[in-house]
Amino acid sequence: MSDRSQLIETGKPFIFDAQRDAEFERLVKRYPTRESMILPSLWLVQEQEGWISAEAMAYIADRIGTFPSMVYEAATFYTMYNLQPKGKYHICVCRTLSCYLLGKQEIVDYLKQELGIKPGEVSADGQFSLEEVECLGHCGSAPVVQVNGEFYEDMNVAKLKELLATLK
Amino acid sequence: MAEKVKLFVNGQEVEVEAGKNLIDAFGAIGIEIPHLCYHPALGADGNCRMCLVGIEDGRPPLVPACKTKVAEGMKVQLDAEKIKKIQRDIMELELINHPIDCPICDQAGECKLQDYYMKYDGQPSRMTVKPVLKAKKMDFGCGVVHDQERCVLCARCVRFTRLITKTGELGIVNRTDAARVNIFPGRPLNNRYALNVVDLCPVGAMTSRDFRFKQRAWFLTKSPSICHGCSKGCNIFIDHNREKYKDDVIYRYRPRLNEKVNGYFMCDEGRMTYKLENDNRLGTPRVNGREAGFDEAIESVRRAVSEAKKAVVLISPNASLEQMFAAQQFAAAINAPVSGYSDGYVKAGDGDDFLIKDDKSANRASFALLGIDDSKTAFEAALNGADLLLSFDNDLSRSLSGDALTQLLADTKLIMVASSQTDCVAKAAVAVPVASYSEDAGSLVNCDGRLQSYEVAVVKNQPAKSLIEVLHLCGGEIKSNQEARAGLQAAVAVLKDIDLEQIPAEGIALTESEVAHVAA
Amino acid sequence: MQVQVLSARFDIPDANKIEIAKEHGAYATLDKVFAMQPEEIIEVVKASGLRGRGGAGFPTGLKWSFLPKNIDKPVYLAVNSDESEPATFKDRFILVRDPHMLIEGIIICCYAIKSHAAYIYIRGEYTTQVKVLQAAIDEAYAAGYLGDSVAGHDYKLDVTVHRGAGAYVCGEETALLESIEGRKGQPRSKPPFPAVEGLYGCPTIINNVQSIASLPFILTNGADAYKAYGTEKSPGTHLFGISGLVKKPGMYELPLGLPLLEVIDKVAGGVRDGRTLKGVIPGGSSTPVLTPEEAQTVTLDYESMAAHKTMFGSGGIVVLDDTVDMVKLVENLIYFYHHESCGQCTPCREGLGWMLKIVRKIIRGEGTTADIDLLTELCDNIEMKTVCVLSAACTMSTRSYLNKFRHEFEAYVAGGAPAQAAM
Repeated sequence: MSDRSQLIETGKPFIFDAQRDAEFERLVKRYPTRESMILPSLWLVQEQEGWISAEAMAYIADRIGTFPSMVYEAATFYTMYNLQPKGKYHICVCRTLSCYLLGKQEIVDYLKQELGIKPGEVSADGQFSLEEVECLGHCGSAPVVQVNGEFYEDMNVAKLKELLATLK
Repeated sequence: MAEKVKLFVNGQEVEVEAGKNLIDAFGAIGIEIPHLCYHPALGADGNCRMCLVGIEDGRPPLVPACKTKVAEGMKVQLDAEKIKKIQRDIMELELINHPIDCPICDQAGECKLQDYYMKYDGQPSRMTVKPVLKAKKMDFGCGVVHDQERCVLCARCVRFTRLITKTGELGIVNRTDAARVNIFPGRPLNNRYALNVVDLCPVGAMTSRDFRFKQRAWFLTKSPSICHGCSKGCNIFIDHNREKYKDDVIYRYRPRLNEKVNGYFMCDEGRMTYKLENDNRLGTPRVNGREAGFDEAIESVRRAVSEAKKAVVLISPNASLEQMFAAQQFAAAINAPVSGYSDGYVKAGDGDDFLIKDDKSANRASFALLGIDDSKTAFEAALNGADLLLSFDNDLSRSLSGDALTQLLADTKLIMVASSQTDCVAKAAVAVPVASYSEDAGSLVNCDGRLQSYEVAVVKNQPAKSLIEVLHLCGGEIKSNQEARAGLQAAVAVLKDIDLEQIPAEGIALTESEVAHVAA
Repeated sequence: MQVQVLSARFDIPDANKIEIAKEHGAYATLDKVFAMQPEEIIEVVKASGLRGRGGAGFPTGLKWSFLPKNIDKPVYLAVNSDESEPATFKDRFILVRDPHMLIEGIIICCYAIKSHAAYIYIRGEYTTQVKVLQAAIDEAYAAGYLGDSVAGHDYKLDVTVHRGAGAYVCGEETALLESIEGRKGQPRSKPPFPAVEGLYGCPTIINNVQSIASLPFILTNGADAYKAYGTEKSPGTHLFGISGLVKKPGMYELPLGLPLLEVIDKVAGGVRDGRTLKGVIPGGSSTPVLTPEEAQTVTLDYESMAAHKTMFGSGGIVVLDDTVDMVKLVENLIYFYHHESCGQCTPCREGLGWMLKIVRKIIRGEGTTADIDLLTELCDNIEMKTVCVLSAACTMSTRSYLNKFRHEFEAYVAGGAPAQAAM
């Protein structure tokens, strides 16, 4: 894994919107300790903002009553938490085993060429970001691609072309 | 005595303390099990895997010694080739990404990786690929500098801030070999014990900005002593060295284990009080504002005492029990009332519930033991009609405002027998330099009524006389610590059965009621 | 060969909806369950021979019986839906096609172990799946199958979905607990075992989704009905995931004990035309690879796998044909395990990265025979020296390729070029 420890500070305080605030209060009752809300809270921030800033982590720590370092540890440990803004379409290509055997590399190469970005980068216009991820649990329909959380199975370059056309 | 269990190490029967883990139990009888992450004050984490040992009783083939308690009849394997190979293998894995920068690393000489490499590994490197690179020279705050590449991720520092100070500034972020210790942005170390992470770090990942690059560890003489920063009396090592053509200088204090006082730790302020021992010391005696010879200064003191209508003796709450007793005897001989007035040594509200105390003096409890009144009223009463004030290292400028001091000195002559330069020394008619605690030996009673002793650590090229010697030269009867101790035993009931020459390392608890007991 | 025990409702449209699921038998066994004593349920599950379907194959009923008696603390159930072992995609079908089977199984399990709170730990990548699952749970609450009085009985049960966020190691049961408690997914040293000291320091049972989902069938039809499938020591059925270089990859429910190669050929259509079989990964990426010769005699059960020095694992079968470059495959696998190491134990944290760099050096044509030997030695030096078995998952599989396909590594060293034709 690459270093995820460099957090982005927006310089602006973070706060949950009303919907996430309510969801936080609903979920916190389900756990005997408030620390259990660290992962759910990070998800709520990501839903709200698309990514998680240093300010958001500090907010979570305060809200839960724990150390910012605890939230920082979790946010950097779990790779699905975006620690910088992603593209409008965040494309994840599974790189592991069955997807590897069935040509994930062609898909990655095609996306790199088509979008002009490498895995881990965001296109200049902010439309696309690309990431290679570990096994997505769709090995029986490999190779698989995820766009903003939606799965696209049995992918190949031709199908990817069609998919990209609908996104642009 | 603690309960014991008998078990077998490498086939040999040994007896160890029950209830302990293998590392501590065997460590106590001189058998080392190498470990990096385990620390008695922080508990077992089990991440370094250096302490894996074999137990021949059907358990899994290997167990971490830090997480395994001793048990009667247990058969522990430490010397099997299998175990030695594991230690070599773990060392190799610890070292593949560790920078080999020992020549410029402060930890060299007291580094567990270095020591273990020599003892348990000794193999040439097989690393032919690029190591993992991380950040270096990170400012973690509180004078702590971090090197992520040297870090072995034992998490001692992280556990310290979570379990001991409960401030939680540190965390290990990322995972796999990208894992690293870091602070949250804008939230550096912010606690009064932060520098303990430097001691806790088994390698050179945590260094002290104050100490780094000043001395190689192996040149330092490590003398046991007691911190005088407050009334807790934390046990310390005074690490000092006399470089060629230079004087004996203290480079750092480090906490020294005393389960009954400070455990493994000390506060940062106390740690930095070593500077007071090095710097701003009173070197040359002064008489009436000019430098003078030592004999001349003593002569001035004797003359002042003999000419005084009424003299008052003021003793420092940092003086040792022996010094206090000698001063008390001296005062009696010259018919002077004794005060321990030192309100300025107390910083009300500054203490915490761990090691830091409000009282920034080391031995106030001995005032009670000797019946020395340290109240302001008693001090003022004593001064009534006095024309001479003899202060034995009590910096009155800490307790009195400048105006009050000036007013006091308007009709009272001040003699300072002092270890360092202070306002008071500047204003004194006579100033006589004296050894400070790092250069002297003595006994102290801490805030909890625990009697502890310390020995001479530093020997200066031009040693100052001890306070007891100065007292003697000024007319006191007692000539040495030994004489003072004999006198104390006779005079103070609670010390009757205590051999002040042989105070055990953990000290002796004098119960509260006994401390309050006034000398006969 | 295929059977429909767990997958009975998989092909029914909208069976994820409670009314459809109920029409087809969901929650029907609960009245019977609540009429039984919890201990009786444990006995039925023991008698069924159900073994943990997460990979370790530990008998489920026996696991439950490790809970301390007369507990004065809450007991928790953690349902392991982390499903992150490469080649494993079976639980996903349960989550999406028949989530009520899982919820019913959770009710049965919790009643048996006297738990009133279950957490379903679902991997973060299952973005669409978690929505289906949560909707089903909401339905179950609304229909009175969860909440203060389960199915009208004097029994309270809350089920909470806890999402992971991209960490394979959280499939390890104590890492999973750490993750629910809000920390990094770093496995705990054992003992204490979770049955004694688990979630929030309380007794906790952790079961795989498929194990839990097997309970409604077992309780409805009895232990014998379940044991009618499979072999004596490996009873029941399993949702096998067959993937890789095979004609008809997919999820197939089969009884345990079938011949591996027959399943690959008859169920999954065999290798692609013109290709020959080169190897089979029998139970997820961590299980040692089998050569075609070894695979001849393997049957799909725990005992046969063990006899062939590999493992049943998660039942994720990967078919490798003659186009596969085994060295590059190993690179792909080591990369995965290195990426997923929690970073806690020295051997795993430092060692897997070293292994990855060495195999990459070999692929670049810069390797030597000594590097192959070092790679082999590192497998031994790292394995079983750590808190959990993540590193062993890497070293056991890597070692199998090094031993069985060493000539491919040697070809890289000798020629600096791939031993096999590019795919």
